[in-house]
This record gives sequence, structure tokens and C-alpha cells, in this order.
Amino acid sequence: MSAPNAWSRSRERMRLFPELFSRCAEQAAAYGRCVAAGAPELRREACGREFAALKSCFVAAVMSCSGTRW
Amino acid sequence: MRGLLHRGASIGPTLLPHVLCHRSQCTDRSGRDRGTEAPRRPPPGGSMNVFDRTMKRNQKRWAASLQEHDKYDYLRAEVGRRVADRVYDIARYAASTTLDHQRAFTQHLHLRHSVVERFFLMDISENSLRLKRESEMPTHHVLGDEEFLPFKENTFDLVVSSLSLHWINDLPGALRQIQQVLKPDGVFVGAMVGGETLYELRCSLQLAELEREGGFAPHVSPYTAVTDLGNLLGQAGFNMLTVDIDEVQVHYPGMLEVISDLKAMGESNCAWNRKSMLHRDTILAAAAIYKEMYGNEDGSVPATFEILHMIGWKPHRSQAKPARRGSATASFADLSKIGLCSVPAMWFELLHRVLHQGG
Repeated sequence: MSAPNAWSRSRERMRLFPELFSRCAEQAAAYGRCVAAGAPELRREACGREFAALKSCFVAAVMSCSGTRW
Repeated sequence: MRGLLHRGASIGPTLLPHVLCHRSQCTDRSGRDRGTEAPRRPPPGGSMNVFDRTMKRNQKRWAASLQEHDKYDYLRAEVGRRVADRVYDIARYAASTTLDHQRAFTQHLHLRHSVVERFFLMDISENSLRLKRESEMPTHHVLGDEEFLPFKENTFDLVVSSLSLHWINDLPGALRQIQQVLKPDGVFVGAMVGGETLYELRCSLQLAELEREGGFAPHVSPYTAVTDLGNLLGQAGFNMLTVDIDEVQVHYPGMLEVISDLKAMGESNCAWNRKSMLHRDTILAAAAIYKEMYGNEDGSVPATFEILHMIGWKPHRSQAKPARRGSATASFADLSKIGLCSVPAMWFELLHRVLHQGG
């Protein structure tokens, strides 16, 4: 383990978030547009497809970034 | 016994009197009593118990203990500047107290010695008080809770509160205590966040939770609406109220920076009904929604802080009262008799009269 406890480890992980998020700007924008269009009568998983694309892009970015686990 | 601090006691910044409160609710304030006192549990669904004050004290203590705590003071500094502006407009004081963090005022020397002679700074967190700030005027540091002011009645000419009222449980009670602590014809100048503050963050989180989890829980603490503020001040016994709204918009790189800055300011949510976790999918979704719905062209996202400024005076016989009914000497109907071409003529006549009567 790289850090003393779960809190500090997760805080370290969250520090990578903005950088990783910026690599998936396109998928994020598509997801955001879908939600904005559906608001306020949004149902669960209404934009599931766009979110799946965003999540897989994000996970790929995490994997490529020195093997950290998200 | 209202409190241990008496006006006139000179207390340097290294000696902080521990203020005990007479009400049974707050025996938890003293760190030493923890052994004898059961941990405080919130009364179920109390309307006057929205915030966990112990948690707020811990959050402020953590924020004050950061290495670069003054990096996060931009909002407080800006609001402190605006409040100090309002105080200068009034300007005639001998002693004053601020019910808030040290950082808002003395940091930028907003209140000058010519306006304020003696300064009492009160804060709920000892660490915030211990942060050394230069100040032109003698400052007394008081450790106390805004909901239980440890001062006698009719003590202060001016009470200033900047960005701390939005964490108070019993706001009407706190305002009433401020009114009592003021001398007659004393003034209260306050600023609190309210209304539509952080609506972008709130909406993004709500939509993300709705889409990802099927429902949403409150993450941003509740705020006072500007329409309620006038009533609150009136009920507390203030006269000649002035309430206005300022909007401060701060741009951040993304949602997580907004949240971490709020935490470092000591402004994390401490409401009893806050949800203590956020799923990682929801975080991702909310960040995407925030950027798409509210983002600017340069890629940054705005966070809005709606600052409600209020000024209220303690009643005094020297203050203007509404005139007696039926005592009017002019009528609003006379306004319609003023034609467009006669206005310059009236001004010249008035000027002539003023000049020849010697002003």
C-alpha cells in the first residue's frame, strides 16, 4: 500500500480526477447534453448509453495512467 | 450567568477565555466535559436544528490548520471588502465586534482605526482565532458560538457579521441576540450567503443522482431566501432595514475544484440531513453535467455565490419615525402638475433661493 489509510489513498486518487476527466471531454459533453435535454423529468438510466461511453473512456484513461485503479 | 467575558477585560491573542454557556444544550462546547456528557444526538426533524455545530467547528478547525489556508480566503476577502464599504458609509463608531472569522476583516485591514476604536472578534473555532493577523486597532479575541452570544446587553455600537450566519440553526434567535447586544441607535451590518448560492453545483448533483441512482438527496445546505430576510430582521427588533443582493461568481477548472475549495474555506456541509457519501459514478456524471450545462467557453465552470447584505438599526428616539396619519402637506397628485418645461425653471428658482439665503 502506498499510503497509510483508505482515506488518504482515495484522496490521492481523487487528485487525478481533473486530469483524467479532461481526456474524456467529448463523451462528457455528449452525456451532459443528453441529461440537459431530459431534465427535469429524468428517469434512472435515461442516458445510460452515453454514460457507459463516458465511463469506459474514463476507465481507459485511468488504466493508461500508471496502472492506478479507479 | 450569561458569560465569563466582561467588556473592558483586555485579552491578548494568546489568552482565549473559554466561554461557557448557561443552557444545557451547549455543555458539549467545553472540551473537558466530554467524559461526563453523552454525545449530542439531533432531535428528530427539529426545524430549529438543521446544522451540526460540532461538525462545523471541526471543519473550521481543519480548514484553519491547512498550510495554505490564506489561498482560500478570496471569497471572504471580497465580501469583507463590500461589508467594510457599507460600514464606512455609516462611519461613526467607538467600539465594534465582528461575529465571524478573523480572516474577513483584519486580513485586509478593511476597518480602519478612524472608524472603529476597539474590535472584538468572535469565532466558534479556536484554530481560526489563533491565526495571527495584523490589525491597526486593539483586538479582543473571543471564543464563542454565534447562537449564544457571551456579551451583556447594550454593549456595542456596531456588530458586523460576514459569511457566518448561514450556518446558524436558530437564525431569528441569533438576530434577536445581536439586537440585544447592540446599544440603542447601534447598527448591525451583515452579509450572508443565501438564495441561489451554488445552484449550479446543487442542480448538477441532483440531475446526476436522478439519472444514475433514481433519486436524490440534499448535498448543498439550505439557504435563507432574500424575501425572508426582511421579516427576520423586523421580528428581531431592527429598524430602518436595508437588504440587498450581490452576486459573486467565481470560475473554477471543474466541479471537484469547487468542492475542494469549499472544503478548504471551512464551508463543507454540516446539515444533519446531509448524505455522507457520493458514488463514484455520480461524481463522474455530475462533473460532466456541470461542465456541459454551466461551463464557459474557456473550459472553466462558474460557481455563483449570492450574498445577501443587510443593515439594521436598534431603535432609538433620534431615528426618523413614520409621520402621523393626516399630517401631509403635499399630495402625490401634485407631481402630475409638474410639466417638463417647468422643471428647469423650478431648479433655477431653488438655486436662486439657496444662494441668496446663504445656503
